[in-house]
Amino acid sequence: MTDELLVVRAQLGERAALAELVHRWRLPVWTYVRRMLDAGRADDVTQDVWLAVVRGLPRLRETDRFKQWLFTIARRSVTDCLRAEYARAAVVSHGEPDAEDPGDAVVERTELVAALSGLPVLEREVLVLFYLEDLSVQDCAQICQVPTGTVKSRLNRARRMLREHLEEKGYRS
Amino acid sequence: MTDEPRLSAQQLIERLQPALSPWARVRAVTALVVGLAGAAFVAALWWTEPGPLPGRTQWAFALFTVFCLAWACYGTWLLSRRVPLFAAEHVVAAWLGLAAAIGTTALVVTVAVQRGAHPVGVPAIGVLVVALPAVLLVRARARRAALLRRKRELAGGDQR
Repeated sequence: MTDELLVVRAQLGERAALAELVHRWRLPVWTYVRRMLDAGRADDVTQDVWLAVVRGLPRLRETDRFKQWLFTIARRSVTDCLRAEYARAAVVSHGEPDAEDPGDAVVERTELVAALSGLPVLEREVLVLFYLEDLSVQDCAQICQVPTGTVKSRLNRARRMLREHLEEKGYRS
Repeated sequence: MTDEPRLSAQQLIERLQPALSPWARVRAVTALVVGLAGAAFVAALWWTEPGPLPGRTQWAFALFTVFCLAWACYGTWLLSRRVPLFAAEHVVAAWLGLAAAIGTTALVVTVAVQRGAHPVGVPAIGVLVVALPAVLLVRARARRAALLRRKRELAGGDQR
């Protein structure tokens, strides 16, 4: 069954179709959120994403573009979370310059995920959407609300930064 | 790698249940319909008062009207931001709105006629009050019909 059929059935009020959408897209959404945030917040933000999806689904007109719409919502939730984090960090660094706890950074990850997390948010975002979520450049542009040229340049920059980062760690292409 | 979501799909769906609860929808639609009907009724009573009213009575009417409008705004906010209303529920909500509008208009026109208000003014406003939910009902039915058509098309495509 296609995503569009599930979306239409869910819009008509079929709970089973909504549950099937959650089953189908839970992991891709969580993976995107997890690549952008730490493990502690990924579950909470994913839950916020699905709440926003459920609330907004009846108003979705382009039922064939569910995937793009879903990741646009996920991106907005991640951006809100990062913005709140930056605001908190600004307050903390203003008052307590040495408050950073290195223990917080100790998280089990693969080398690639570690390298990804080292990239700036904008570059990491396009890399995750394009390579991990398998979205087209046009879809990435729509989700990130930037021109396709900007997505391409961010992808180039992200690839270069990732390569440099991996080379620093001793990997050779 | 232990990097996995903490919540299973079932747990995630269970956590979404409050937003999908039928009672949340009933509360939202009731707040909107009763708020609008109440505001229309109180405003009509106020408007059709035969003589000049004392200041306190004017304030009381204004307060009641604002109170009812606040409930209507709350209902609108719930329906637009918090509680998803799917196509079938949209149709039911529009029918409820239409029934409430017709009932309120009948009541208001009866009271207005008894009080000797303008014979055309109040019914004319009543027609406008009924027209809005009627339009919403037509739109809701059209939207549901379009979704059902699309579902049939897609289901046909899926089976091929």
